[in-house]
Amino acid sequence: MHTTIQLTVNNAPCEATVDTRTLLVDFLRDQLDLTGTHLGCATGNCGACTVVLDGLTVKACTVLAADVAGSAVTTIEGWTQDARQSGDLHPIQDAFVKHHALQCGFCTPGMVLSVQQLLKEKPNPTEAEIRHGIAGNLCRCTGYASIVKAVQEIARMSSE
Amino acid sequence: MAYIGSAVSGILDAKLVAGKGQYTADVSLPGMGYMAVVRSPYAHARILSIDTGAAQQHPGVRIVATGADIKQWSRPIPHTLNPSAFGGKTTDIYCLAIDRVHYVGTPVAAVVADTRHAATEAANLIEVEYADLPVVIDAERALEPDSPLLYPEWETNELMHVRFQGGDVERAFADADHILDDTLHLHRHTATPLEPRAALAHYDDRAERLTLWVSTQAPHPLRTTLANTLEMDENDIQVIQPQVGGAFGVKIPTYQEDPLACLLSKRTGKPVKWVEERTEHLMAGGHAREQTLKFSVACKADGTVVGLKVRIIGDVGALAAVAGWGMSYVASFVVPGPYKIPNCEVDLSIVVTNKGPWNAYRGFGKEAASFLMDRVMDRVADTVQMDRAAVRLKNFVPKDEFPYVQISGATLDSGDYAKALQDVMDKAGYQSFAEEQQRLHAQGRYIGMGVGFELTPEGGCIPDSFIGGYEGATVRVSPSGQVTVLTGVTSPGSGNETGIAQIVADALGVPLSTVRVVQGDTQACPYGLGNWSSRSLFMGGSASLYAAREVHHKVLRVAASMLKTAPEDLDCEQGRIRVKGQADREVAFNDVAEYVHKRPFDHHAFDMEPGLESTRYFRMGNIHHVPDDKGRINTYPSYPYAACVAVVEVDIETGVVTLLRYVTVHDCGTVINPLLVEGQFQGAVAQGLGGLIYEQLSYDDNGQLQTGTFMDYTLPTAVEVPSVEIHHQEVPSPFTPLGTKGAGESGVSSPFGTIVSAVENALMPFGVKIHDTPLTPQRVWRMIQAAKNGNNGGAKA
Ligand code: FES
Ligand code: FES
Repeated sequence: MHTTIQLTVNNAPCEATVDTRTLLVDFLRDQLDLTGTHLGCATGNCGACTVVLDGLTVKACTVLAADVAGSAVTTIEGWTQDARQSGDLHPIQDAFVKHHALQCGFCTPGMVLSVQQLLKEKPNPTEAEIRHGIAGNLCRCTGYASIVKAVQEIARMSSE
Repeated sequence: MAYIGSAVSGILDAKLVAGKGQYTADVSLPGMGYMAVVRSPYAHARILSIDTGAAQQHPGVRIVATGADIKQWSRPIPHTLNPSAFGGKTTDIYCLAIDRVHYVGTPVAAVVADTRHAATEAANLIEVEYADLPVVIDAERALEPDSPLLYPEWETNELMHVRFQGGDVERAFADADHILDDTLHLHRHTATPLEPRAALAHYDDRAERLTLWVSTQAPHPLRTTLANTLEMDENDIQVIQPQVGGAFGVKIPTYQEDPLACLLSKRTGKPVKWVEERTEHLMAGGHAREQTLKFSVACKADGTVVGLKVRIIGDVGALAAVAGWGMSYVASFVVPGPYKIPNCEVDLSIVVTNKGPWNAYRGFGKEAASFLMDRVMDRVADTVQMDRAAVRLKNFVPKDEFPYVQISGATLDSGDYAKALQDVMDKAGYQSFAEEQQRLHAQGRYIGMGVGFELTPEGGCIPDSFIGGYEGATVRVSPSGQVTVLTGVTSPGSGNETGIAQIVADALGVPLSTVRVVQGDTQACPYGLGNWSSRSLFMGGSASLYAAREVHHKVLRVAASMLKTAPEDLDCEQGRIRVKGQADREVAFNDVAEYVHKRPFDHHAFDMEPGLESTRYFRMGNIHHVPDDKGRINTYPSYPYAACVAVVEVDIETGVVTLLRYVTVHDCGTVINPLLVEGQFQGAVAQGLGGLIYEQLSYDDNGQLQTGTFMDYTLPTAVEVPSVEIHHQEVPSPFTPLGTKGAGESGVSSPFGTIVSAVENALMPFGVKIHDTPLTPQRVWRMIQAAKNGNNGGAKA
């Protein structure tokens, strides 16, 4: 069965016909070619598919595309675009690069979006709060130390 | 030396952090179809019939294939490491099972359809009739004469039997003060990178050419293998490796789905895409680690180990065309690791069972050897009542005895093991820990400290295989002075492209930003063996260095002529070539490059070969495949190592183990980029910790996998993994031009021995002895209860 949905994706209006079984992550990747959102497990465990839905992060493999009609979705592509203050990247992304808080980069877009959510809620997180804040995003490469360092630096910078 | 040794950020990081990395699943082609694979729900069965009628009729279906079709259309997939070359057994592996399945997840049929949904629906319509066969999932049971057989023509389940022996073991045991026996068991787990495997095959009918985009670690060997399987010319195949989302060994070719997608593209004349689901990955994407390690050790009262007998039983699951079974071989090859135990024997049985096939996982058997040797040292220490670290210090290969040849032929290249251990003990406060432990114990807390040591042979080089000890690279300078480095090694996201760019930028004296590294395209790159065994930087980097030096030599020759001086009098830094000590006499690197390209007949460049390009190959000098007088060969050229200290806390009410601190002194020779090396080490420790405590591929007695999703195969999160305190001890390799040793794999092995030792230390009041992994809360809790009841034989959960 197919249905037509209207929504906002990365600030632009979007209308599409989707198979009602299609997950939001597949819709974004396959129909809109927004491949910065990754698929790592499809069971809501890894966080590689994290996007922002109506202002809150969500795992896009746990949401049906048909259910987001009327909503606003922001992916890493749109967020990067919006977030550019000066330079090419958002300070969170700059800190990730500086501390090499990524290796293969597969978890990274989802991780960055979870970090922005965390810092929105807790601008000055403790190390334990950082670790809990990103616990929904698995990274198989870094062992998290460099990610924690990057987040600590952003928090420090914004509190100065 | 502007870049070598400095903490440069990854050159791809800015792209990846913006979500602009292109992974295989992100590549699309017009008209492509989607492949779904039908897999066996049984661990051991004969296929009686396959009815594909309904699937063929399903809307959108382009092709349905079974083993019978595959046998007509293709040849068996060549083994990456053929066990028969090691005196073992073998079997033909086709892209789909032919008449028998050996594990849950065996691919038995495949469908290609216009959409992913249609492919899955059609796959569900395929009716396979099976006749059950008896299942064997335990390796020791599989060795018994009346066990069910996976491959009846072998008349055994023993894939291979290997023995290494040196010295006079019986004599050493006869003369010993103590003899101790123990049996250890490592459980089955896997690399499981965050990006699943994926392939996009496109057979172009008009050009009669195949292009495969694939998440792999070794594009060139894969191309050679595909040519063989598909009966095509290598020249007609191009393998492209897009960005890879982690690999850790498990993407070393060749899996069945890669040639399968190619075949089905060839049959349909349209591109075929396949993206592995996590469940498929956990069932059939390559397992590792499960081994029984029995030892008997003979020692003197002063802690000197005089003899060691080891028996390893590797449970490698069913056989596939990938190289996983080799991990058990390497486990036996590495024993006795960093220790000088001349009277030593290792007896290895590699055994097939009805579980998923092994493929490589970071550690590649060295983690089993590390765990074994750490346990041996701890047992000796406890028996002679010495400090656990002191026993290791007593038995290490001394620093003035390198190169040191072990019984297997493993030729340890260089190092100072004792200093690494002493340094890490100092950094971790080893000597004063007991006080702290007492103080916390008085508050009801159980804290423990353990030491461990991992030796991580790197750059494996197996005779007559694509697991080889050489690499190639091309360095090319364009007319505008831009530098391209094309390498035979690839990056699965480990950062070697950045290290290689640093090496080349320094060798040429140009800014790093002008260097572009191209990897993973068989059409563009020199033939090379890809990424595994930490070989990329020390082999690929060395080849790149040689090529860059050759180009640099030409640039200097032209510049010297322009500046009316000798090449030796020139310095080149950041793209400026200057006469030493004369700041005003200089020429730009770019101008020289342009000159060479545009004016080959003018006098500054006339007396040399035109062009600014060089391809060079590098081969490790300390590999030997001709047996020595004792019949040994050396298959590993580089032996990095790490001494480690762990601090843990155990909650004795719940059995939960928390790693509080992990400190290491690590030697990987010359460090090209500390940011990358430390990132790799930290990630490796996280995997070791995950494997020891959180991750398990667990099977029931019928061979059903019980941990087939990330719901129950639990990877460690940021909450479980502490930041590792990493210190470097740089003992340069005498066998590479920059002194580099393998880096990247290290860190995954030591957590097994180190953390287990720390947990035992924490639970000393109960006298718990640990023999088996994983250290899940339930199992640790049972160990505590058993020890309380006077039984410390280890828990069997
Ligand atoms: S793909 Fe959505 S959480 Fe893993
Ligand atoms: S960087 Fe590879 S999974 Fe996080």
